[in-house]
Amino acid sequence: MRAAGVLKRAGLVVALPAVLLVVWWFSSAGSTSFYAPPLSKILGTFAETWTVERLRADVLPSLLRLAAGYAVAVLVGVALGVLVGSIRTVRATLEPVLEFFRAIPPPVLVPIIMLFAGIENTMKIVVIAAGCVWPILLNTVEGVRATDEVLSDTARSYGLTGPARLRHLVLPAASPQIAAGMRQALSIGIILMVISEMFAASNGLGFTIVQFQRTFAIPQMWTGILLLGLLGFALSVLFRFVEMRALAWYHGLRQAQRSS
Amino acid sequence: MRRPLVALTLAAALLVTAACGSDSSTDEAGGTDDVTDVTVGIIPIVDVAPIYLGEEKGFFAKRGINLTMESGQGGAAIVPGVVSEQFQFGFSNVTSLLTAQTRDVPVQIVANGVASTGNPDADFGGVVVREDSPIQTAADLAGKKVAVNTLKNIGDTSVRESVRKAGGNPDDIEFVEMAFPQMPAAVENGDVDAAWMVEPSLAIAKDAGGRVVAWNFVDTAPNLTVAVYFTSTKLAQENPELVERFQEAMAESLSYANAHPDEVRTVLRSYTDIDQAILDAMTLPLWPAEINRASIERVAELGLADGVFESEPDLDALLP
Amino acid sequence: MTAVDNTPVGAGSAGPDRGTSAPSHRAAPTRRRRPPTALLGVAGLVGLLVLVQILPSTPLVSSRYLPPATEILAALVELLGDGAFWSALGDTLTGWAIGLAVAVTAGIVLGVLIGSVPALRAVTASTIEFLRPIPSVALIPLAVLLYGTGLESTLLLVVYAAFWQVLVQVLYGVQDVDPVADETARSYGLGRWARIRHVIWPTSLPYVMTGVRLAAAVALVLAITAELVIGAPGLGNRIAVAQTSGAVDLMYALVVVTGLLGVGINLIARAVERRALSWHQSMRGEVIV
Repeated sequence: MRAAGVLKRAGLVVALPAVLLVVWWFSSAGSTSFYAPPLSKILGTFAETWTVERLRADVLPSLLRLAAGYAVAVLVGVALGVLVGSIRTVRATLEPVLEFFRAIPPPVLVPIIMLFAGIENTMKIVVIAAGCVWPILLNTVEGVRATDEVLSDTARSYGLTGPARLRHLVLPAASPQIAAGMRQALSIGIILMVISEMFAASNGLGFTIVQFQRTFAIPQMWTGILLLGLLGFALSVLFRFVEMRALAWYHGLRQAQRSS
Repeated sequence: MRRPLVALTLAAALLVTAACGSDSSTDEAGGTDDVTDVTVGIIPIVDVAPIYLGEEKGFFAKRGINLTMESGQGGAAIVPGVVSEQFQFGFSNVTSLLTAQTRDVPVQIVANGVASTGNPDADFGGVVVREDSPIQTAADLAGKKVAVNTLKNIGDTSVRESVRKAGGNPDDIEFVEMAFPQMPAAVENGDVDAAWMVEPSLAIAKDAGGRVVAWNFVDTAPNLTVAVYFTSTKLAQENPELVERFQEAMAESLSYANAHPDEVRTVLRSYTDIDQAILDAMTLPLWPAEINRASIERVAELGLADGVFESEPDLDALLP
Repeated sequence: MTAVDNTPVGAGSAGPDRGTSAPSHRAAPTRRRRPPTALLGVAGLVGLLVLVQILPSTPLVSSRYLPPATEILAALVELLGDGAFWSALGDTLTGWAIGLAVAVTAGIVLGVLIGSVPALRAVTASTIEFLRPIPSVALIPLAVLLYGTGLESTLLLVVYAAFWQVLVQVLYGVQDVDPVADETARSYGLGRWARIRHVIWPTSLPYVMTGVRLAAAVALVLAITAELVIGAPGLGNRIAVAQTSGAVDLMYALVVVTGLLGVGINLIARAVERRALSWHQSMRGEVIV
């Protein structure tokens, strides 16, 4: 029975992608277009392009930078979010400034960041963090603001203040919202990882894809794009796994509410 | 509450139909009678001044070509455009086209674009270091960090040749890819030890106190052809007459630009935002009417040795 | 810097927080006069101006590469008098508007469809997770191949990026529908379409509005990015030309315009959100004892 369940789940995951791949395969089979080669050709070069050596030399540094930028974004986002969410004045003052920077496209902002952060790994981590921090920050703000008033008063009447209040009331109450923000930040992080490697990079997954593009190695470029998608998928599965564990109490509560 | 949203959806649908209804105007080389509509994909830089000047002077119109320039920001935008015939012609540096040829991209060079001045004291591209840098000659670049605008391209190939000619070892230079506009700041901040720049970034860097330690175009080959205009092999086969007209118009424009540098500086103001002071200070490239085949052979040779190309480019297939 | 997700997952009790700027139910009684929100916002922007004025004089960055605010503003004033600028602004806004409209429509239609049919949702989940993180910039050669450097290329990139914002939000919204209400509607004999109109749509509307607001921001960023890299007409193209020409003042002036556009779009989006959810706001503040 368990095996059948697992098989069914696996089947659901693979079903649509498999269908799409088949459609892609056949519709591109006779393609002579240089920039849209047949899928057979793309898949054929996948293995020889992404050898263990290249994975270690390019994909690993990218992932490490992504992890570092993401971690910074979570720390800064939650800390700032708690501050901004708790104090209305800070939020009102900062929101237009934050919206202003959010609207500036990364290809324009990265050169400006380069002026301050140099061109090494630091710059790339700053770029990733600067983009990832938004969803986390804003979701933290909303989560903190929506802390249930009854809970809040109860906590206060029990004399719960300061750091303890933060640990036991504010953060747990906001955690589902924060988790949603972290979820979104993950997708953004991957996109920015690629963009940050278009400027002054010397290794990385995004860097490699762009180099393929520049040297007209188009099937290889497509394999890189496929790999990006796979990476995003893998990270989202990992995230969901961790989230289910950490927020088990919340999901159980919602389940109970819904069925009551 | 619901009505504004219904209205929004309807508006969206209308906008979409409107957008789909308007057809793209520059699909093929259409036109009436003897006048052909031609679109050229260019990068809005100093190098393409002759085509703007030629268009202004009517060199294209008198040959029945109604010219439109579409600006892209690099090969990634222009080559697909030419291959898919969105553009009839495009502008690209030689090394990129050589690489494309080795990968069987169906392109063919038609006309010269821009060349080095060949002057070992002043060219439109050179390697710049900070004022107080310990680097004095090209040989000192060995083992240093040098910025170029594209890796595995004319920049790193020519810089290596400069280092070789000056007696240095080019093998452990660390090349970093960065767009020209970001280079002056990177050099000044010490993020890189040196940078290969072209005008106007070169003039801007010199204005900030930078020093040129190598004229890499000059070192690579005499009268180096740096960039060219190209078309798709399909167009070259189907409409050789149009290609010929374009070539004649281009040759006339290039010669004119060479002979009238002041008019070039004026036309630059029309499609770039280069500051007047920089315009007056910068070194203009040379615009010979003919491609220097020997220089391209040299670039192919060097590129093959440096590992830029995986196989030898077939120059007969590529050059006109 | 491309998107924000105020996914209103909710904080457990007082109803799902839709991420709107409704007054917090912890609104303090007006014991003291508080400065109005708008004024504070302007103060924030002024603070940024002051920072940009001071920074170039510090050793942190040279004024050659980051000009002081006064120079940037002077270039901005000059820009406003340039007819070509307004035409470029129009091009950007056109690309933004059309792209957003298409993305929102497609996102809502597909989102409601996929969200209301559990089988569809299960099957498409992996594909959505796969496609979401692929950056629009990777599609640039494809866009140019298909549409050259015109408006359509911009639209391809804008729609691709903004669509996911809307879709994910709508999926969340449809998922959050109260099953009791849904069952009740079904037991009253309401068919699928009627249920979508009267139960699913109102519940998911707050999520949809958040999605539209996020998509609006993303659409702007992608419109300008497309113009920057491909060379389609618009503000991004002008920024690219200013960059390659080394016209630093002009570039920053254009960046300021971009940023202000973003602030403006956000204000409009929030206003639309407030209007569309005016009926919903009153439901907030409900406490389950």
